[in-house]
Amino acid sequence: MTVSGNHHTSGNNKEAFLNTIASKLGRERKREVQLPDIQSLLPDSYGSLTQDDLIDILKEQCFFIHTQVIESKPEILQRTLDDLIEANGGGSVMTSGDPRFAAYGLTFPGSFVWEEAAGREQNIMRAESANTAVIFADYALAESGTIVVESRPDQGRSLHFLPAHYIAVIEKERIVLRSTQAAAALNRRVQAGEPLGSSINLISGPSNSADIEMKLVVGVHGPLSATYVLI
Amino acid sequence: MSLQTDKRDFSERTTDGLGDSFMRNAVGSAQDSLKTRRLSAATALGDWEQWRTAGQQIRQHTLQNLDYYLEQLAGNIEKKGGHIYFAATKEEASSYIRDVIVQKQAKKIVKSKSMVTEEIELNHVLIEAGCELIETDLGEYILQMDDWDPPSHIVAPALHKDRRQIQRVFTEKLDYTDDESPEKLARFARKVLRQKFLEAEVGITGCNFAVANLGAINLVTNEGNGDLTAAIPKTHIAVMGMERIVPTLAEMEVLDNLLCRSAVGQKLTSYITVMGPSAAGDTDGPEEFHLVVVDNGRSDILGSEFNEALQCIRCGACLNVCPVYRHIGGHAYGSIYPGPIGAVITPLLGGYDDYKELPFASSLCAACTDVCPVRIPLHEQLILHRQNIVKENRTGSMERFQMKAAGRLLSSPALFGKTLRFAHPASRLMSRHGRIVRGPELIHGWIGARDLSQPVKQQDSFRAWLDKRKGESGQ
Repeated sequence: MTVSGNHHTSGNNKEAFLNTIASKLGRERKREVQLPDIQSLLPDSYGSLTQDDLIDILKEQCFFIHTQVIESKPEILQRTLDDLIEANGGGSVMTSGDPRFAAYGLTFPGSFVWEEAAGREQNIMRAESANTAVIFADYALAESGTIVVESRPDQGRSLHFLPAHYIAVIEKERIVLRSTQAAAALNRRVQAGEPLGSSINLISGPSNSADIEMKLVVGVHGPLSATYVLI
Repeated sequence: MSLQTDKRDFSERTTDGLGDSFMRNAVGSAQDSLKTRRLSAATALGDWEQWRTAGQQIRQHTLQNLDYYLEQLAGNIEKKGGHIYFAATKEEASSYIRDVIVQKQAKKIVKSKSMVTEEIELNHVLIEAGCELIETDLGEYILQMDDWDPPSHIVAPALHKDRRQIQRVFTEKLDYTDDESPEKLARFARKVLRQKFLEAEVGITGCNFAVANLGAINLVTNEGNGDLTAAIPKTHIAVMGMERIVPTLAEMEVLDNLLCRSAVGQKLTSYITVMGPSAAGDTDGPEEFHLVVVDNGRSDILGSEFNEALQCIRCGACLNVCPVYRHIGGHAYGSIYPGPIGAVITPLLGGYDDYKELPFASSLCAACTDVCPVRIPLHEQLILHRQNIVKENRTGSMERFQMKAAGRLLSSPALFGKTLRFAHPASRLMSRHGRIVRGPELIHGWIGARDLSQPVKQQDSFRAWLDKRKGESGQ
């Protein structure tokens, strides 16, 4: 693949900086680059997998990343989520403004929705005081137990980190094997000139740290617990 | 903190390390557990060696075309409304950041773990400018609260501290009243730091890889502090070493897999984020985004015999297999970059005047080279350093004399054979119970920390055995 040349004017320090690099490499500045085909080097270690195989891989991995997986159905999704919120101790709920909440007929009385109109301070304050966040995943990566979400006006960056508990609803058809597939799909969008959210988050379970005597502590700065609901 | 964490002699630092039994146990047990986890996560990828080759090729391609990708990155960040600044020196980098903060009239700053900000002495500059600066990575926060104790491991900076030491620091500095369990200590830090995130005007992060065609940075963390640092304050300043860049998300994904699996044995860490300037309609994230690209000596490595050192993705896997690091610990290196990769890059960034001993702190067993996910020939680079240090006459005159004598002896089979014949009787006065216990300067370093057997008697030597065998077979 050939990547077209890019010329952008900026401060003089940039030109001097980049000229130094070119000179240390013993050549003129590069204006065009041929990307090597790295993907062909990478073996497929899993072979062909059905959607059920992917679900099994996801469930197994979630055990290792301290993440609960609940299987549900669109018809009983509301009930499943209500039960989980209750199990988290009730309290306030904050959801993204994802249209899928309406499409599945989900409502959470007294909850907050991340919305552009509320502005920065309000959204952050609501997320910080929420006991549980509920969002829909854009992709789920079976091998690592990861969900992929993009920031949007109705889904801020900090929504995924401030509430104490985190619930991600995963539609089964959005499960892919690993980050390779998700990165390739996102990359195709970039190359097609389609804008991505200003923040793409790959989230694998609750926050954790092993900074004290290498002992794993789950729930550090981000959520204390994470649950994936498969539908 | 700067690149240099300890100005004392290397021998003093290693003596300290060797005498710190808690640290040595902690490092040994961390090495064992991380090695096992890394192996299991690497195996899950299928052909790990192929992935390493892919990682190596991505890094080499990017370094060979670094000016192109940095220019592309700059253009894409500016198109999105962000600012990018190219700093040739550490002074330029930290003063640009200070100027942004002064211009914003900001006083409260949260930071997530970043080695390059240590390298440019940013904390020192910002504290001097009157800012309240808080490290938010749990390990780094512990070190900050303990009067900026230096880190001892690239990914586990507080590895050298036990829970009681941490409890004592929290009690003295933060009025912590609970017990020493890691859960309670971490939960307490979470509560204190949550407030800091909400109050901060500026968030400073490092950058695992910048993504050139997207105009964004990639952060790989487990705690969520990096994301909160970037999402909540109105200004986000990210700092990157100039070589930490990938062409697209596809190459980023390969390197993130190599990084997470090599560093902590996870398939992916809890949080991997690709982020940049906020988009229209976003209600959190930075209102102002700055990326500072730091050279600080890296361009002198580029295109040199040490070029491959710039492939490093800071996973720390080489530390986790290194027998020398295991025994002397991270502080003995006197650099924010310890272990084998530290012994390669610290002298490159900081010069031989202060770091000429580091390349000799290696067994040259090549375990670091074998484990490196991007195939940096670390032990070969250590040998290159040693050759340079000798060429520049930086070794002591006695050592040079001894090496010259050893060179003459070892390059002459006849002289070597004769010497071996006398080695046993000559070493009698220096030996006790079959071990050499005293001797000239050349062997002091060795016998100070390890056993050195007394040479065997002439009739028991391999040469005697071989000569006898040759005689028997008529050769």
